[in-house]
Amino acid sequence: MLRFFRHIAFVGALFTYAVAAQADLQDERILLTFIPNIQFAPFYVGIEGGYFADAGFNVALEHLQEPEVLDLVAVGQAKFGIVSGEQVILARARGRDVVYVFEWFQKYPVGLVYDSSRDLRELEDLRGLAVGIPGRFGASYSGLTTLLQSAGLSEDDVDLREIGFNAPEVFCLGAVDAAIVYVNNEPLQIQHLAVRGDCGDVADIDVIAVAAHVDLVSNGLIVNRALLEGDPDEVTRMVRGFARALQAVIDNPAAAYLASLEHVDSLPADDSLLRVLQAAANRQNEFVASHPGRDAIALSRHQLEADLAEQFDNELLTQLRVLLNTIELWDAESLGYSDLESWEAMRDTLAAMGFLDDGAVHLPEAFTNIFLPGPVE
Amino acid sequence: MRKSAKVLTQKHETEAWVRFSLLMRRLSPILAVICLLLLWAWISERELISHILVPPPGDVYLAFIGALADGVLAKHAFVTLQEMLCGLLLGLGIGLVVGYAIAKLPLLEYILAPIIVGFQSTPIVAYAPLLVIWFGSGPASKVVTTAVIVFFPTLVNTIVGIRGVSPNLRDLMRSLKAGRWRTFRHLEAPSALPVILAGLKTSTTLAVIGAVVGEFVSQGSGLGYLVTAARNLYDTPLVIVAVLTMTTISLSLYGLVALVEWRFLVWQRRSNM
Repeated sequence: MLRFFRHIAFVGALFTYAVAAQADLQDERILLTFIPNIQFAPFYVGIEGGYFADAGFNVALEHLQEPEVLDLVAVGQAKFGIVSGEQVILARARGRDVVYVFEWFQKYPVGLVYDSSRDLRELEDLRGLAVGIPGRFGASYSGLTTLLQSAGLSEDDVDLREIGFNAPEVFCLGAVDAAIVYVNNEPLQIQHLAVRGDCGDVADIDVIAVAAHVDLVSNGLIVNRALLEGDPDEVTRMVRGFARALQAVIDNPAAAYLASLEHVDSLPADDSLLRVLQAAANRQNEFVASHPGRDAIALSRHQLEADLAEQFDNELLTQLRVLLNTIELWDAESLGYSDLESWEAMRDTLAAMGFLDDGAVHLPEAFTNIFLPGPVE
Repeated sequence: MRKSAKVLTQKHETEAWVRFSLLMRRLSPILAVICLLLLWAWISERELISHILVPPPGDVYLAFIGALADGVLAKHAFVTLQEMLCGLLLGLGIGLVVGYAIAKLPLLEYILAPIIVGFQSTPIVAYAPLLVIWFGSGPASKVVTTAVIVFFPTLVNTIVGIRGVSPNLRDLMRSLKAGRWRTFRHLEAPSALPVILAGLKTSTTLAVIGAVVGEFVSQGSGLGYLVTAARNLYDTPLVIVAVLTMTTISLSLYGLVALVEWRFLVWQRRSNM
């Protein structure tokens, strides 16, 4: 009987501690774009792994359109948001005083997908092709403009078709010769359709990544000027909490996939896959504890993919592959760091698109690296 | 003498009051809009809501003038108008034919009802991306989106209108040995017209939604595209200009149908008098 009461007291104490710990945390929402997706794994790991809690935050995630994220942060209705660098430049040109404090995507995620049987050895070969694009706005349009510019071409040199966010279907129907896509996601979908024979005559594809030609500033964490100057400690805590979560995903994608299951409904959760991932996550934790270098960790990610490919079919692994592909866009020696050159490249692209007047934005005010941690532990 | 003068004055006062009431009734929509504008200007001047979220009316006016001057507004409004009119005609045509057929053949209703109701009860935004894939990213997908959204109210009102024809009048037509065409022309069409025109009023307002939803999904031109493009450039005044243009188009078409209704249903007004 006494043992029973001891158990009750222990559970009660644990519960009280948990509630008290939760109460000490600051409720904060982070505004994201798109929909819940494995590509937001660092946020899921930040929550599930306790990285945001360690930084003093009880984080809730909300998904909105990019301009809405930016405006709500600009007016202070939300403190933190994720948007692309180009949106920061455009919004600042329109009087939104937001500041970019952490470059999440170190490589610009946009590229051009085409049938590999097409003789497209150089960018100049794009001339005259029908190219699909979601619309004449956003990261896709900036990416295409940059690609064309780097080849000395203009929009008039290609047959640009606005296809919404339907690139895999439209490309496979043969309505366009090439399509602007997010390199970490849509090429995988098209590849699967091609392998299944559901992509017309396309048997294989190739991708030209914008990042291979120009370094454009990409998606990152923003705050507004008032928070940055009024409570820099809060910004520091959020940036560092996020940086730790991001590093955790880069180090251990299997664990990140498992943490994301709580947040992304559409993730395949086959029992045998989850068992294998759990074992892989445990092994990776031990491996990371031995302080391997960045290259060794990258190699371990490739090994994970190869091991899983032997055991499971492509369909089941698609989302995990999206995560692994996306990690390649995040991984860098200094997480979160953005340089002036990438901002200038983006500003020049926007000016070439006619969206920005020269000198409309003073770039050094648009971003800062002062909140970044040193090497993430 | 004094009593009759008093009565006359009272009569004048009553007439003046009636005239004033009538005037106020006619002016009330305009007054409501003016009040709304004043409230907007007041909120904006005092910055009760950030200008980023709600720009001042003056900024919207300047954006309107700018978009009008460089032809952007006319270009996109014309595209939307074209798409919605084509979609309206298509949806209206199919809705009238299918509605008439269903009204005459109850078996057809039994067969088609689950498909039609199922299709209609799904929000158009859910399958609009599919329409873009099936009909391409050009105007065809927007026309079809509009036609789909217009089809249902037309269909329902046609069925109700045709089935609402008085059985006594049908008997009369039969006794006059009127054929199908004559019965349709002289009885069914005029009897169903008030209900069909009421449906057309709803359809015209829905047509704008159809076209704009299509433009949101697959973009290149039109007011839906203008909203997205302006939003992505943080040009909120231009977003409001585009939205108000949609409203204007919608109201104009609604007014046009009301005018048609007023013109064609003279007999109904007379019989109501």
